[in-house]
Amino acid sequence: MLKEKYTTEIADILSRYPVKRSALLPLLYLAQREQGYVSEAAMQEIAGILKLTPPQVYETVTFYTMLNLKPLGKFHLQVCKSLMCALVGSDILIGWLEKKLGIKAGETTHDGLFTISKVECLGACGTGPMMQVNDDYYERLTEEKVDRILADLKRDGTSALKTGPFMWPEPAPAKRGA
Amino acid sequence: MTKFTAWIKTIIFYEILVGMKATLSHLLHYKPITLQYPHEKRTLPDSYRGMLALLRYDDGTEKCVGCDLCEAACPSRVIKVFSAEVPGEPTKRYAKEYYMDMTRCLFCGLCVDACPVDALGMTREFEWAVYDKRQLRLNKEQLLAIGDRSYPVREKRLEFQHPNVAFFNVAFKGLPEKES
Amino acid sequence: MPNVAVETVKLTIDGQSLTVPKGTLVIEAARQVGVMVPHFCYHPKLKPDANCRMCLVEIEKIPKLQTACSTPVAEGMVVRTATTVVNEAHKSVLEFILANHPLDCPVCDQGGRCDLQDFSHEYTPTTSRFIEVKRVFQKEYFSPLIEKQMNRCVQCLRCVRYCDEVMDVKALAPVNRGTMTEIKHFGTHELDCEFCGGCIQICPVGAITSRLSMYEFRPWMLKRADTVCTYCGDGCQITLQTKDNQLIEVNSSLGAGRNNGDLCARGYFGYHATTHPDRLTTPLVRRDGRLVPATWDEALEYVAETFAQLKLKHGAQVFAGVITARCTNEDLYLFQKFMRLAVGTNKLDSSARYGQVNAVRALCRIQGTHRWPVTFEDIAAAEALLLVGTNITEANPITGLRVKEAVKKHGATLLTVESLQPTVGTISNIANLAAHHFTAHPDQYKPVVLGLIKAVIEEGLADQPLSQKAPAYLQAIRDAVHALSWPTIEAATGSSAASFKEAARAFARTARAVIIVGAGVLREPGASGLAATLQDLLLLTGHHGRPGCGLAPLAEQNNDQGAVEMGTVTECLPGPCDLDDQEARARVSALWQEDLPQGPGLTIPEILEEARGKTLKALYLVGEDPVGSLPESARAKEALEGVEFLVCQELFLTETAQMAHVVLPACSYAEKDGTFTNTEGHVQQVRHAIEPVGESRPDWEIFSDLAGLMGYPLEYGDAKDLLKEIRALVPGYNLPGPTPKPSRPDHTAVDRYLQQGYAEDLGERYRYTPPVKAAGRLTLLVDQSLFHSGKFSTKAKGLLHLQAEGAVSLNPADAARLGIVEGDRVLLSNELGHCRTTAKVWDRIPAGLCRFPEHFDQEARRLLSVSIDVATGVPYYRSAQVKVEKAQ
Repeated sequence: MLKEKYTTEIADILSRYPVKRSALLPLLYLAQREQGYVSEAAMQEIAGILKLTPPQVYETVTFYTMLNLKPLGKFHLQVCKSLMCALVGSDILIGWLEKKLGIKAGETTHDGLFTISKVECLGACGTGPMMQVNDDYYERLTEEKVDRILADLKRDGTSALKTGPFMWPEPAPAKRGA
Repeated sequence: MTKFTAWIKTIIFYEILVGMKATLSHLLHYKPITLQYPHEKRTLPDSYRGMLALLRYDDGTEKCVGCDLCEAACPSRVIKVFSAEVPGEPTKRYAKEYYMDMTRCLFCGLCVDACPVDALGMTREFEWAVYDKRQLRLNKEQLLAIGDRSYPVREKRLEFQHPNVAFFNVAFKGLPEKES
Repeated sequence: MPNVAVETVKLTIDGQSLTVPKGTLVIEAARQVGVMVPHFCYHPKLKPDANCRMCLVEIEKIPKLQTACSTPVAEGMVVRTATTVVNEAHKSVLEFILANHPLDCPVCDQGGRCDLQDFSHEYTPTTSRFIEVKRVFQKEYFSPLIEKQMNRCVQCLRCVRYCDEVMDVKALAPVNRGTMTEIKHFGTHELDCEFCGGCIQICPVGAITSRLSMYEFRPWMLKRADTVCTYCGDGCQITLQTKDNQLIEVNSSLGAGRNNGDLCARGYFGYHATTHPDRLTTPLVRRDGRLVPATWDEALEYVAETFAQLKLKHGAQVFAGVITARCTNEDLYLFQKFMRLAVGTNKLDSSARYGQVNAVRALCRIQGTHRWPVTFEDIAAAEALLLVGTNITEANPITGLRVKEAVKKHGATLLTVESLQPTVGTISNIANLAAHHFTAHPDQYKPVVLGLIKAVIEEGLADQPLSQKAPAYLQAIRDAVHALSWPTIEAATGSSAASFKEAARAFARTARAVIIVGAGVLREPGASGLAATLQDLLLLTGHHGRPGCGLAPLAEQNNDQGAVEMGTVTECLPGPCDLDDQEARARVSALWQEDLPQGPGLTIPEILEEARGKTLKALYLVGEDPVGSLPESARAKEALEGVEFLVCQELFLTETAQMAHVVLPACSYAEKDGTFTNTEGHVQQVRHAIEPVGESRPDWEIFSDLAGLMGYPLEYGDAKDLLKEIRALVPGYNLPGPTPKPSRPDHTAVDRYLQQGYAEDLGERYRYTPPVKAAGRLTLLVDQSLFHSGKFSTKAKGLLHLQAEGAVSLNPADAARLGIVEGDRVLLSNELGHCRTTAKVWDRIPAGLCRFPEHFDQEARRLLSVSIDVATGVPYYRSAQVKVEKAQ
């Protein structure tokens, strides 16, 4: 349970907000960091901490594509599907990934390495099409580049083509999920 | 002169002859137009509105979804529909019972117009004389039987006609049935 | 309340100028001049959300179209709702909605009363420019009572907002985003919420519909009858909808009745009880030991003849009658008239005895009137609310909504003294909203209330005028609470002195305060005393007698209040007046043109006692089932076996009716006309929706016929005739308006109490002796649950889906200690007996307590003992000490 494991961290998060409910997102991040995804039990526990009902936590989790309800592969390929990337071919990119990995968006490969998901704008509109793999950005993608990235990830767990993480929280340790 | 003409017309019954002109001319060229019904039958016009019938899709399922719109449209309260969930097919609606009291029917065709799934049709049957008028209260099976013999060519199911009606009145397997 | 001048604003809508209060929304202002702005997400009860964009209107000097549902009016505003631009906007909004909305109106239960259908007919072209395939949601099973078709959803989120803002349940959530937003509950199981049906009623399209009546009707076939729900004392107006004499659906319209369109699970899904196949359809007469069907003439003549013979032989004092407070006022009134005139005895009582009598006695004693001094509106407008033993969200859910409204919308301070713990869940829990909550077992209400009074005195919060007006009274209370030490109270309640003081301050320093007491107080020993003590609290804080303040005891049955006012409880004549009030007797007998019988009345426990002693020869039970509802220790069966002639007038063949010599089938509320008086004293019309089931007849007709056969004609044309007679005797029954006028306390009665009335039992009321509890036992509380009301609702198939059998709810800590997990079979036992049942672990149950629903207490009743209130004759049998263990 989160409460026992992260007592001080939860107390710290709660102390940051005048309204309890505001602590929902940080707590969900905490839960996701713990398990790689947000489980039903975690949502119930967070609801208990914040005096919300579980459906209120659930609706927040499903709203943000950064929060996952299912265990993910080792590499979470989050392809931007918003307008700017779509204009420069994010559909083709998704199609290419799906073909290469043999899965549909939202699914995980059998070896548990890759999960593809379509996400909303990641703020790299000038350099589309792009995707985020775990916390790293990969921009101006082409089919060859994607092939190289996938091969690198499979081999080394990272790729030299990344343009860096821009997101909070700080880059998590490479091991993630199952 | 005029007096003489008038006198002649009187003695030869001129007015009667004028009146009988058509009759007398037909007497000469005799051609009967009466049909020897039931030995002879008239050709019905294309838009003839005869006996009502319930229709089926090409896979043999009833078209009727039990929406009661025919009942609402009927000006003489011929139709009575009892709708329910199809047994074994949760959330799918059908007419559990369907009655038409043909003794009251005006054959106006409003029910056929009202039907959103074209489940009702007007046939060209009209020979429905019976000894007991209770036999004219037709139930669903009888109406379907009329449809079967009058509409041998059946339509495809709606979902195969338009992709956008794929979720019109479908059953969802794995759901508990509604208890009655 | 000081009358604040309301600021007004002048504006023009579609060429009509009007003046409305400042802050009114354009859509509401438009409605006032008869302009209907189309909308989906707007609802008068909910905060504006403006997510559907359907209500766009043109406002002069604002370049873009504005949503009428979220724009407040401004001075000189010129609004146009029917221009080409606006029409184009409506068209395009609808085109977007219809891009995904399936065209399955023929099979949709909402078809015919659907907002989308209506607006589409009005605004859209018949063709769509969209050729894409429509969105399809995975079908999910929602619940046996609620059907969800998300493909039809227009995402107005009314259901979600209603569930949160009005019901405070928050069981529904909009899941995912954009077009794929879908209304869901949490978890992989079925929906578990309060099932108030609000989401079904508020859905503008057919996305959420009732599965209970699914596909049984089309809206245009339904006949409507506005009547009153019978499942609790709230008196909600419901619209029974029928098709071919079959009950199809229940609705409640916005702005109608005391509930303003809100209902609970019982009201919304409980309507099938009246048309249950087990309903009695013919009179039954016992011949050769068996009950056999008879005609009305046979049955009534038999009853009249036997009554006459018994009366001739033994006199009128061997008769007694009990009627249920679920009957209409007309039935209740005629019953007591029948018993007093045709039979000639005062030995009659009604089921208001089980608790309401306590409440009325406390009200009469200290404020001189028998009705609430407040209305539902006063509860919503209160600044401080104190709830004692109400479990309000389950027992009286609609009064509960007013409390929720007061707290959530108007920021009232809520104090709760409940056998509940605040918990997170999707069944509302009033303790969650409380600023100060005291978790109390049924026997702890008294020390908590005494603690509050002590805190008021010690914190110097006592009202100044009172100390001048009644120094002796104040001193007596001061002495009494002084004798109670804080450690005693803390030990008895488990709450700290500081928490009492804080709560007392929060309560006393408000202008408008209401105390609500419920069955937890009124049906537990010491009830009449505790209700009086709560009045003391109001007197001390100076709230007593102030408009909008007062004590509001909740009635459990729909017409408990009416039963008292009709004089159908032992100690009352219609009015209600005291049975031995000579003036009242003279008035009643003048109207009836007949002398009233002499002799004492008998309460229900006394009637059973006399029956056991064989001095009672004939008993007339109307809708009451003592064998099936009283615990075995009350020995009702033994008592009724001793009665020579037992007549039952019933809907069903209950356990008592099976013992009867004659059973007469009566009509349920859905089949008769009349009036009910709700808990706040508001008289409301009951109208029949269906024809009587079988040969059943309205109760008053049966009394009238019987009286005629016995030679004392009590003839009335219809229920309205009876109401006319009631009006002559009982104040407050003249043309009921939309809202009740609360009774004003009678100052002579208040003064009498303050000068000497208090002294008679003050010592007793303020003395606290801790109850003796055997170690290792839990307190079993057999009480009402949210999904049922009495035994009647257990015939409703909709409610049986929600709760089909009794289960004992335990606190998680207790359950863990006893090694019990959810679903285990458990054995409850004490000296009186034992019973086996299923365990349910529920975190809102306080430690040391376990709850069992009274509706399924056939076995659990064995554990209860009966104690009788000395002052009011009320039998108490709700709680017991039991040993809980896992069954082998």
